[in-house]
Amino acid sequence: MQLDRRSPLRARLGAAACVLLASAPAAPAAADTSTDPAPGASATQLELSGLVYGEKGRTDVLEPTVRVTRLFANGQSLTAEAGFDAMTGASPTGGVASLRTQTTTSASGQSTSIPASQVPTAMFRDQRESFDLGWSVPVGPFTATTGGHFSHEKDYRSLGANAVVTLDLLQKSVQLTGGAGMNRDRVDPVGGAVRGLTPGDPLGTAPDPKRVTSMLAGISRVMSRRWLAGVSATREVERGYLTEPYKVLDVLDPATLETAQQLREKRPELRTRTSVLASSTWHFGDAGGDVGYLNYRWYTDDWGVRSNTVDLKWRHDLDDRHWIQPHVRGYSQRQADFFRYYLVQGEPLPAFASSDERLGPLRTVTVGATYGFQVPNLPGEWSVRAEYLHQWGPGKLTRPQAAVAGGDDDGGDAANGGTVDLMPAVHIGSLLVSYSIGF
Amino acid sequence: MGAPGVARLERVDDHFAGRFTAMASPCEVLVDTDDPRVADAALEAAEHEARRVEAKFSRYRDDNVVYAINHAGGRPVAVDDETAALLDYARTCWDASGGRFDITSGALRRAWTFDGGDRVPDDATRRAALASVGWRRVTWRDRELTMPAGMELDFGGIGKEYAVDRAAARVAAVTAAAHVVNFGGDLFASGARRGGQPWAVGVDDPGRTGAAALWRLEFERGGLATSGDARRFVMHRGRRLGHILDPTTGWPVDGAPRSVTVLAATCLEAGTLSTLACLAGAGAKAFLDAQGVRYWIVE
Repeated sequence: MQLDRRSPLRARLGAAACVLLASAPAAPAAADTSTDPAPGASATQLELSGLVYGEKGRTDVLEPTVRVTRLFANGQSLTAEAGFDAMTGASPTGGVASLRTQTTTSASGQSTSIPASQVPTAMFRDQRESFDLGWSVPVGPFTATTGGHFSHEKDYRSLGANAVVTLDLLQKSVQLTGGAGMNRDRVDPVGGAVRGLTPGDPLGTAPDPKRVTSMLAGISRVMSRRWLAGVSATREVERGYLTEPYKVLDVLDPATLETAQQLREKRPELRTRTSVLASSTWHFGDAGGDVGYLNYRWYTDDWGVRSNTVDLKWRHDLDDRHWIQPHVRGYSQRQADFFRYYLVQGEPLPAFASSDERLGPLRTVTVGATYGFQVPNLPGEWSVRAEYLHQWGPGKLTRPQAAVAGGDDDGGDAANGGTVDLMPAVHIGSLLVSYSIGF
Repeated sequence: MGAPGVARLERVDDHFAGRFTAMASPCEVLVDTDDPRVADAALEAAEHEARRVEAKFSRYRDDNVVYAINHAGGRPVAVDDETAALLDYARTCWDASGGRFDITSGALRRAWTFDGGDRVPDDATRRAALASVGWRRVTWRDRELTMPAGMELDFGGIGKEYAVDRAAARVAAVTAAAHVVNFGGDLFASGARRGGQPWAVGVDDPGRTGAAALWRLEFERGGLATSGDARRFVMHRGRRLGHILDPTTGWPVDGAPRSVTVLAATCLEAGTLSTLACLAGAGAKAFLDAQGVRYWIVE
C-alpha cells in the first residue's frame, strides 16, 4: 500500500477529525438540501458498440448497438437494447463448386456467374433491426426477469418473450435459475416460399411460422473464495418452417459429377435441441489479479447434430486503467443426419436434405483478445476486441479426369486437377469497439 | 438487548447501562453513576444524537442530504456546515490514503454483495460498478458538491464513528459522570471512572462473535474502533472474503487482517486508522506501527 508515510498521516487525520467534531451540528434536517432531488432513477449505464465483421470473400457486417441499463433505487432494473445490422456480400447458396463456370439466380432475380472452383454464393444486401427489453425485479431471495424481443428484416420477423427466476440460497453461495421463453418467427421469402427438394415449385401457401419454446434450468455455486462454478441445461423445441428458403442443393450427373440440376433444400418441421453448459471462473492471486474463465458446452439435437465447444478467457489487469483479455475457443460439430454435400441424379430423393455448411461436419477455432482502457480525465471505459475465426471441414469431391478436359491445367497436377473442396476453409476477422459510461 | 427503537436502562454492578438499536447496530451507553435519572438523561441524549446522525446521513432514506446528493442527477448540491465538515474529512481521508478510502465506493460494495452474501461479481458487473466510483470525479468546493449522475455517496465508513463522538459530546453536556458510548463496537470513553478505575473493553474473536473476548483492554479515555470481518464476516467453506474493498482495483484487499482494533483520541480517528490499516492488507501492522497508536490485530 502506498500510503504516504512522509506526511504525518495521523496528525493530519487527527486534525481533520478535530475540525469535524468541533463544527456545530446543524439543526436536524433543516438545512439539508437546497436543490430538488431528481425523482426516480439512481443510475444509468449506457453502452455503445460497433462491430465490423468481414469474411474473406464473403459477408461484411456492420453492427452498431446501443444498450441502456437503468437501475432504480428499489433494486429494479430496466434494460433496453437496439441493434442494427447492415450486411452486404455473398452467402453460400449450398451449391457445389464446379470446374466450369456456374450460374445461379439470386432472390431478387438477378443472375451471377461463379468463377470455376469456387463455392457458389449469392450476393445479398440486407439489413436487420432489433429491439430487446428486459425488466428485473428482486423479491426477497428471488429475482424475476422478464424480457421481450423484436427483430425485423425484409423477409423475416421475430417476436419473443422470456421469463427467468433466480433464487439465492445458503447466503447466496448457491444460485438456482429457472426460465422459459417463447418465440414466434415469420418467414416471408422474397418471391414466395418454395417446396423443398424441387427446383423451386411454389409452396402455394405462406410458410408456417416458426415457433420456438425453450426451458432453462441451472445452478451455480461458490466453491471457494477463488472459484465459482455452474452448470445449466437448456431444451428448445422449434416447430414450423425451418428450411432456409434460398439454399439450394446440387444434383450431380453420376458420370461427370458436374451439376445437372439444383433443388431447394428441405428440413424437418420439428427440431428439439438440448445443450448443457458447464462454466467455471477462477480468481488468481490478489486484488486485481488474473481471472480465468473456462466454459464447456455440449449440444445435441434430433437432427443428429452434436457439438462440443470449449471456451477459455483470461483477464489480466495491466494497471488500474488498462486490462487485456485474450481468449481462445474451439468448436467441433458432427453433421446432421440429412446433411448432403450434393445429391446424385438417378438415386431416390431422401425425405430431407440440406447442404448448408452450418449443418455440416465442421471445426472452428477462434482466437482473439480484448483490450480495455480508460482515457485519463474522461469518464467511461473503452474496449476493443479483435477476433479471428478459422473454419474448416472435410468435404472433398474428385471428379473423373474427363471432366477436366479442356481445362487450362498444364497437366502437371492432373491427378488433383479434378478435386474441389466442398467445405473450403473460412477466415473471418471481426473488430468490436465498445464504450460504456455511467451517469 | 432492547427491541429496535426502544431504549432500556439497567443497573450493572456499579454503573448503569442503557441499550437501544440504531444504525443497524446494537448501541450501548455506560454511565458511571448511581442515579438512574442521570443515566436516563445520558441515554436519551446519546440515542437522540444517534438517530439524528443516522437520519441525516443514512443512504437508506429518501429525505436527507445523502439522498439529495445521490439523486441530483449531476447537478450541484449545496450542503450545510455539518455535511460540509464531514465531506472535508472524507476528502482528507481519500487524499491521505491514495484514493483507497473513498466514500463514493458504494456502487462497488453493491456489486460485491457483502451483506451476508459471497457471490463474486463478474467482470462486467465489477467494471460497471467501478465506472461509478471515484472521489476524483467529484467536484467539492464552496459548500457545493457536484457528482456525476449514477455515482453514490455513502458515509457508512465514517458515519457510525462520527455519531459515537457526537453522541459522547451530547452525553458530556448532560452529565459530568464518566461514560462510554458504544455503537456497534465503535466506542468512545470519556475518562476514568470513580475511584480512578479504567473502563474495560473486550475485543471479540472475529471467528466466534459472542464468544469469550480475545483481549480485555483497559483505558480511561479515547476512541476505539474495530475494522475487519469480526461482525460482518462471510463464510466460504471455512474461508473468509473480507468486505474491505479497494476502490482503486475493485477487489477486496487481499491479506487484510481479520480484525484491526485501534485506540486513538477520538472514535472517528480510530475508525479511520483501522480502516486504512485493513486497506493496507498484509501491510496493516507496518502501517499502524508507523502511526504510533495502540492497536490489536487478529490475523
